Amino acid sequence: MNSKFIKELTELVRNDIISDEVSKNIQKYYEGKQAATPNKLFVVFGVIGAALIGIGILLILAHNWDDFSRSIKTIIAFVPLLIGQLCVGYALLKKKGRTWKEASGTFLFFGIGISMALVSQVYNIPGDFGTFLLTWIVLSLPLIYLLKSNSLALLHVVFLTYYSCEYGYGFRDYNPSPWLYFPLVLAVLPFYLNLLKQYSTKNMVAILHWILPLSSVIVMGAFIKTEWEFLPLIYIILFGLIYNIGSSSVLKQERLRRNGYLVLGSLGTVILLLVMSFKDVWKELSFEVLMDTQEFYIVLALFVTVLSVMVYSINKSKEGHLNLFKYVFIAFTILFFIGITSPGIATIGVNVLVFALGIIAIKKGADGHHFGILNYGLLIITTLIICRFFDTDLSFVVRGLLFVVIGVGFFLANYIMLKQKNIK
Amino acid sequence: MKNMKTIYIFGIFVVLALVQLFVPAQMIWGREKVLNEGASYKFKTRPVDPNDPFRGKYITLNYELNSAETKDTLWSRNEDVYVKLNKDSLGFAAVSKVSRSKFEVSDDFVKAKVQWYNSKEHKVNFNLEFNRYYMEESKAYDAERVYVESLRDSLPENDTYAIVYVKDGEAVLADVVINEMSIKNYVEKENKE
Repeated sequence: MNSKFIKELTELVRNDIISDEVSKNIQKYYEGKQAATPNKLFVVFGVIGAALIGIGILLILAHNWDDFSRSIKTIIAFVPLLIGQLCVGYALLKKKGRTWKEASGTFLFFGIGISMALVSQVYNIPGDFGTFLLTWIVLSLPLIYLLKSNSLALLHVVFLTYYSCEYGYGFRDYNPSPWLYFPLVLAVLPFYLNLLKQYSTKNMVAILHWILPLSSVIVMGAFIKTEWEFLPLIYIILFGLIYNIGSSSVLKQERLRRNGYLVLGSLGTVILLLVMSFKDVWKELSFEVLMDTQEFYIVLALFVTVLSVMVYSINKSKEGHLNLFKYVFIAFTILFFIGITSPGIATIGVNVLVFALGIIAIKKGADGHHFGILNYGLLIITTLIICRFFDTDLSFVVRGLLFVVIGVGFFLANYIMLKQKNIK
Repeated sequence: MKNMKTIYIFGIFVVLALVQLFVPAQMIWGREKVLNEGASYKFKTRPVDPNDPFRGKYITLNYELNSAETKDTLWSRNEDVYVKLNKDSLGFAAVSKVSRSKFEVSDDFVKAKVQWYNSKEHKVNFNLEFNRYYMEESKAYDAERVYVESLRDSLPENDTYAIVYVKDGEAVLADVVINEMSIKNYVEKENKE
């Protein structure tokens, strides 16, 4: 226990604030609590150590040592795998603690990759990198549940994203979509939801709150093959989905830095809308809507998913005020289809949307006395104005004046809020 | 009760561990069988040098054997094509026939991927799948260089070929030979000189 804390306790006893008995009880309580939870750092170092050793062995073997014969290489291929399996088996049988399970699981994960990589080298097996990653992911997936391992869940999502990019974005002559991404993400979902229910305050859960939406943002582009015009629409709806998940009743209570959904969804929406606020972008987009394409079906599927998430969260929490960030994807979808025939209206519409989002963020920040959100709103409006400098002919005097006004606005808004906060 | 659960989980793990062992073992077993029992063919080829993030350096082999005459015109890209092999007068692999379906087990054939169909010459162009040869890190780039030099030096005819074992439609690339020497040793020799 913290020595400073003990000192404080003795001081409290000395000054008759608490009795000696209470002090002892407090000490006992914290000591018991400490014994129950293993040192967090130890788990983290165990996992990092195991991962580094695993990757190290993998890279050393990738040198393709010519001096070893085929049979020796084949034996070496199984050594890390067997060591990993023995450690995991031991951890399971002896019901070892978190550190053991996380570290041995991580090592086994890399052991699987090592064995397959080495066998591929020895026998010159042609299969491409994507297939190699896929086999690796599938072979280690059950370990997540057997060991209840957070680090394996994380590795699963990271490697799955890697695989999907390799498979979907690769420069191949044919252009496949990484459809397996969906079942393999769903496979880790029960683990994630269980974690969310039981240990929602753990740091690992927060990391997954960031990694999962990030992964979906990275991979989504791999499903867009021919109809690139749909890209902005698909991504706006995806960001809408991510934002709505982040503001659902389950995650709403999370602090902002732990809620990757909310931050990524909001940032993604605003940045994409800013890009779409240029008239030239819409002119480039003039196209016929092809209904019978993969991209159009993705739009439909995403839209239905967001709507169901929204209905779910509306049912769960009766919330009075309207949060435009949640619904902005609907407005954009309408503008998108208007923009096909009249890019001018769509451009104006998007500009109004961004402006409204900025104002709402400022209001939210001011109401909740949250400096971050307040300045986020101011930043949205500033960026919008800077963007308009590029495609409108304003004189330098007007531009200069606008900047002065924005600067004063930043200063005043923060100052007023600071004052109000101090009065409180 | 709790012990039962541990044993249950451990049992599942043992099954998983066996599967994890089985996958690489099966990769080895299949290849060893082809290497030991298969017929050996020489494929003329040309090496170039890319790499793979985890499995290391390899050379990609561009085979001279990459097309065959056929009356079938309906080939589509990336379709599987089975290539039945025989040997030409110099002992190199040559195409005897191509087909969409597998040949008899007694025939020597390999699987390839269709590239395109040349309707003028009535030829289907394909890529043989065993085109990846892993090499020691320091040697892969040199392998490409040595090959280019060997062309320039003396030999007008391409003298680089791959030794491939074939059995039941499975092919295993065993070695790449340049000037009658395994490319591994050849690169070493050239580097020393």
